[in-house]
Amino acid sequence: MSANEIIRVSGLKKYYKGDKIKALDGVDTVIHHGEVVVVIGPSGSGKSTFLRSLNLLEVPTEGEIYVNGENILAKGADINIHRQKMGMVFQHFNLFPHMTILRNMTIAPMKLLKKSRAEAEALAMELLEKVGLADRANAYPSQLSGGQKQRVAIVRALCMQPDVMLFDEPTSALDPEMVGEVLEVMKSLARDGMTMIVVTHEMGFAREVGSRVIFMADGRIIEEGEPRELFENPRSERLRTFLAKVL
Amino acid sequence: MKAWFADFAADFRLNFIDGSMWKWLVQGLKNTLLITFFALLMGVVLGVVVAAVRSSYDKNRETMALHKGFGYYVFTFVNGICKLYLTVIRGTPVMVQLLIMYFIIFASSRNDILIATIAFGINSGAYVAEILRGGIMSIDNGQFEAGRSLGFNYVQTMLHIVIPQVFKSVLPTLCNEFIVLLKETSIAGYVGVMDLTKAGDLIRGRTFSAFLPLIAVALIYLVLVVVLTALVGVLERRLRKNER
Ligand SMILES: Nc1ncnc2c1ncn2[C@@H]1O[C@H](COP(=O)(O)OP(=O)(O)OP(=O)(O)O)[C@@H](O)[C@H]1O
Ligand SMILES: [Mg+2]
Repeated sequence: MSANEIIRVSGLKKYYKGDKIKALDGVDTVIHHGEVVVVIGPSGSGKSTFLRSLNLLEVPTEGEIYVNGENILAKGADINIHRQKMGMVFQHFNLFPHMTILRNMTIAPMKLLKKSRAEAEALAMELLEKVGLADRANAYPSQLSGGQKQRVAIVRALCMQPDVMLFDEPTSALDPEMVGEVLEVMKSLARDGMTMIVVTHEMGFAREVGSRVIFMADGRIIEEGEPRELFENPRSERLRTFLAKVL
Repeated sequence: MKAWFADFAADFRLNFIDGSMWKWLVQGLKNTLLITFFALLMGVVLGVVVAAVRSSYDKNRETMALHKGFGYYVFTFVNGICKLYLTVIRGTPVMVQLLIMYFIIFASSRNDILIATIAFGINSGAYVAEILRGGIMSIDNGQFEAGRSLGFNYVQTMLHIVIPQVFKSVLPTLCNEFIVLLKETSIAGYVGVMDLTKAGDLIRGRTFSAFLPLIAVALIYLVLVVVLTALVGVLERRLRKNER
């Protein structure tokens, strides 16, 4: 394990219905600190399954996942501690509708990290300030627009001060005019050095802040590399066809 | 008109005042409320436990199957028992359950109020369990995932994130279930309990006049149900207001 390695995945497989559906069919990769890895690929290629395996929202059928050198699939591994260090942002935001924005952000740090209310709220307000939503702290999720909800979802995850952030198509459920504001937040997070794994169809984002692009198809990594290189000189036919469709 | 009123007064005296038979109604009402209240309490406890087992089994089966430990088999067994309980209770008439309780399971006991309470409690537990489970299932799975992804364990996710939302959505349905329970206890007379219905029937048997005692009984149920329904309505409106 190299010093700045954070996640190592090897032989990762996820089968459904016996082995009829191979959502992941042997994925190997290493993620380093500070990397912004963008995962692309056609629908059903296993992008979400891969991302969700990393924090065990999906339990892999086979394979190994090491985070900071620790095998998180081992019998004694504490998955909850592991998840605290790995923030996740969902396509549909998943804010808690019965809590204010501020409460959405402070509940986990207070209950899990045993932070005082003052301490948790201070961090939450600082983050809300950064994403321009400090004035909505006492609103409820239903009172926000989609773009605002997703910005809150991002800072809610950041309140746990994670080592890695996972994004599963964070802008796919948004009206087009709101995509930009969410991508801006993600870009500034990337510039601040956060390790990020992002499933997205936003090729512009990949180009601008991605340090590596992973192209998946049929549950495997077909090709990976530096964004410019990968987009300009795709080696596989699959990637060429895919790029022709999305670019 | 005057003659009718005099008739009514005489009838009223015959059925309620003479021999202080109104006290039977009071006693019956007391028993009805007693059975309903404790059956409700038992139903809620049973329902919460069964719903917790059923829904956590469904939610965690995959993760548990990963390392099939002893706990996994115990959990599977307990889940099976809960399923059997739900099937049997919801698949047979409450009247039959009451008779089985009285004449078979507790044949040696003659504490009929207690037996009736247990029978109705066990019955209502199954319905409460399914209402709660329905409520839990109706919460978007994304809420569980968001909770878990923040690092909450299963129980914490349920407690802080899911249950408060379930509570809001099922409280009116639960209250309605309790109103149904109140009316259902009217069959307790079959195992010798003098509940409200039985009291009315006893008066009828004594005075050979059916109209007033039975109408009185019906009125008392009606008033109880109308008042409780109104309270549920207030509760519902209050919950909706908090939603914003
Ligand atoms: N719970 C499940 N049961 C059965 N099959 C599943 C399940 N979840 C995912 N799959 C299948 O696994 C494959 C990979 O799914 P996944 O959601 O990871 O794809 P994806 O690349 O994220 O696609 P999209 O771009 O549409 O989000 C698909 O064929 C999908 O139908
Ligand atoms: Mg997906």
